[in-house]
Amino acid sequence: MTAPEPVERTPGPAWARRRAAARRAWGEFTRHRAGVLGLGVLVLVIALAALAPLITDADGVDVTRATGGRLEPPGGRYWLGTDESGRSVLLLVLWGARISLLVGLSATLLSIAIGTVVGILTGHFGGWGSALLMRLTDFFLVLPSLVLAIALSTVIGPGVGTIVLAIGVTSWPSAARLVRAQTLGVEARPYIERSRALGGGHLHVIGKHVLPGVLPLVLVNTTLAVGTAIVAESTLAFLGLGDPVAISWGSMLRSASNSGAVTAGAWWYLVPPGLAIAVVVLAFTLCGRAMESVLNPRLRER
Amino acid sequence: MRQRRWALGASTLVVAMSAGLGAVPAATTATAAAQQGTTLRVAVTQEVDSLNPFLSITRTGTDILRAAFEELTTASAADLSPEPGLAEKWEPSPDKLTWTYTVRRGAKWSDGQPITAADVAFTFNLMLSNETARTANGNYVAQWESVTAPDETTVVVKTRAPQTTMVALDIPIVPEHVWSKVDVGAEPAYPMVGSGPFVITDFKESQYTRLSANKQYWRGAPKIDNLDFIHYKNADAAVQALRNGEVDLVNGLTPTQFDALAGDPDIERNNAKGKRFNELVMNPGAATATGQPIGDGHPALKDPRLRRAIAQAIDSKTIVDKVSGGYATVGGGYIPPLFSTYHWEPTGDQARPFDPAAANSALDAAGYARGGDGVRVDPASGRPLKFRLMLHSGKAFDEQSAPFIQGWLRDIGIAVDVRSVADNKLNEDTTAGRFDLAYSGWTGNPDPDAVLALQTCASRPNADGKGATPDSFFCDADYDRLYAQQGSEFDTAKRAEIVKRMQQILHAQAPLTILSYDNALEAYRKDRFAPFTLSPDPGGFIMNQQSYWGYYSATPASASASGGSSSSTVVWVVIGAVVVIAAVAALVLARRRRATADERE
Repeated sequence: MTAPEPVERTPGPAWARRRAAARRAWGEFTRHRAGVLGLGVLVLVIALAALAPLITDADGVDVTRATGGRLEPPGGRYWLGTDESGRSVLLLVLWGARISLLVGLSATLLSIAIGTVVGILTGHFGGWGSALLMRLTDFFLVLPSLVLAIALSTVIGPGVGTIVLAIGVTSWPSAARLVRAQTLGVEARPYIERSRALGGGHLHVIGKHVLPGVLPLVLVNTTLAVGTAIVAESTLAFLGLGDPVAISWGSMLRSASNSGAVTAGAWWYLVPPGLAIAVVVLAFTLCGRAMESVLNPRLRER
Repeated sequence: MRQRRWALGASTLVVAMSAGLGAVPAATTATAAAQQGTTLRVAVTQEVDSLNPFLSITRTGTDILRAAFEELTTASAADLSPEPGLAEKWEPSPDKLTWTYTVRRGAKWSDGQPITAADVAFTFNLMLSNETARTANGNYVAQWESVTAPDETTVVVKTRAPQTTMVALDIPIVPEHVWSKVDVGAEPAYPMVGSGPFVITDFKESQYTRLSANKQYWRGAPKIDNLDFIHYKNADAAVQALRNGEVDLVNGLTPTQFDALAGDPDIERNNAKGKRFNELVMNPGAATATGQPIGDGHPALKDPRLRRAIAQAIDSKTIVDKVSGGYATVGGGYIPPLFSTYHWEPTGDQARPFDPAAANSALDAAGYARGGDGVRVDPASGRPLKFRLMLHSGKAFDEQSAPFIQGWLRDIGIAVDVRSVADNKLNEDTTAGRFDLAYSGWTGNPDPDAVLALQTCASRPNADGKGATPDSFFCDADYDRLYAQQGSEFDTAKRAEIVKRMQQILHAQAPLTILSYDNALEAYRKDRFAPFTLSPDPGGFIMNQQSYWGYYSATPASASASGGSSSSTVVWVVIGAVVVIAAVAALVLARRRRATADERE
């Protein structure tokens, strides 16, 4: 038995410190009632969306197997009424959550990833390359995102992937600006200088010091951005730039408006998807605000 | 920042949407102020492409032009048969190659000049000599040799081959004294000198087209003074405007909107049997007029057995019931049932009722075995049967029926990738053969020639995908032979027989399948207008007729009821605004008082 003794099996003091910090942060988070409420709503919505294929029958959202009448008002059989093809609106809202959340999350991840990379690179390196990159960021920042997103989806062709790309590509500049500012702030601290003096290269400084320093901010920003990405997804789907057969909250509103549900007074077709968007966006915002105050003591309520 | 920009985007959207409701009525108010007398206000959702009579091809554009320009013959209100327009009578030579039209004496242009045979000859000769002038109606003059006007009332047209459309020439006749001095391709100046019951006086793109009564009209001036076509971006906005009394006549309603208007005591609805069909075209191997393959259609669709199976797996009855709310007719032959002389319905052996099981076994027998994922594979090319389906973005029928077609085809082992495409892009792609399955649809005429021509070999484009109007890229020698025959067959019964045989070929080869024949759903304010003349009568339309009878017949219901509800809307808006302002003022005052109280302490 010559194998070396496993050295780091027992958690070291660093891990204990981290766990204690996490516990403190969680304790601080739970003090925000609204944040906890938001988190609860999110967990519930995400669980329902993920379990939709298990708890409901996929045939219910297939138009060729729909059994209801055209725009039936809410009743015992269909709690939230039916759409113009006779499908249950409740079921559509449930299934619509899948695309809306998926697009919202992946678009945010894309935009935050681009933003973080650009922000850290420009903040860390400086020089003409960074200046160029920042001008590019400014260029994207002043472009009206809705118009750019519409132009993009016209070029690539409508679809879920297009919407993710359109939102991601149009909403990264603000994240880049934010991360760059934080990077500059972190790099001005003495321990970075010390680390450089001890021979730490770019990779070491970025990976070990800057990234951990900006990550909390990125996390908060991500949470807040998901809400806006979901609104953006609904806007683009409402404008007909989404997958024409996929069910999302935005495409439900589009079908409602196209089929004349407004004139027919079919509120049960318009209100649920709209309300769902509002509730999920609110939940993400509440969560994000609570996390922000956990990470930034100055925001804590006195 | 991000939030604010998206919020900005969202509010821009809201503003843009409400512009449909807000901006256009502003134009109406301006109209009311500027014009005197009674006005028929028509809401249209389609944009006018052009009001140049030689260029306009949209439904709305041609509809407006028909009210402003009299043609040689016009379609009768009752059965759309040719009846005298500018021409009092017409006579073909025994060999049907020379047609002599006698132009009405005493008819005048709207500027008072007499309408003569010279104007007719000028219009036709312009089309023969100038390619731009043939843009919209070139198909009528393609076989013409010469046009002459030997005297003031006689026009002689010589053709190279007998032509059945000579009694239904859908060509606006323009005044020579105006059009000889202007560029044919340019947008016309307003007011446009015309010969129809109305004169086009003003046009603002995407906003409105304004017409006023032509006092010189030879049948007598219309009973209303003005006719306004107001553009709405959104059908719901148009319907709300009708309910509020801001417009008087609306068409293109969705079934839901049509049902919702049922209870309104001031609104009369008109459910007209449609002259339009919706079809699904299946790329049977697109090629140019010279037979060179173009585009990137799926090779398996060249097999008529596969195309027939697809047609059989689509349930037209469900589309009619669910998508069109019952306001449509189940698909059958190529010519819509409204044109009963030429309509053909598959019966007996040829009937192909909805039957997924039969479609499945037909595909099994044809060698399309299912792959591991349940999608069949084309044995010849080895490619799975995965087809693109292109639909018109924003068109309710396409968007609602696409999930049905996707579901039905999945049941027979065909995967469908639905793509929503802007109208122009769809036209471009289908014309160049870059499609597998695509939505299409055409409006029929009393004369079936134009619609039948779409499926001939000659309607295929050149190598650049231009120069013709292909529909399904169908090319069949028998069909083309019959097409030539029907074009020179003047006995209606014999011609109908040929046209029906052509439809049988289309049905058997299935380069397309008819999904439904749409009804035209219209509604008007019966408190302001008496019933309009329908065409055809009974069961016909008010708008988009083959002629101008609907608009020409507009008669105000009574002098009393006009704009009552819209003025009450204004009252309510004012009351609402006052309440809001009062509430805000109260809130501000209360806050200020509290603030000063705090300061005092």
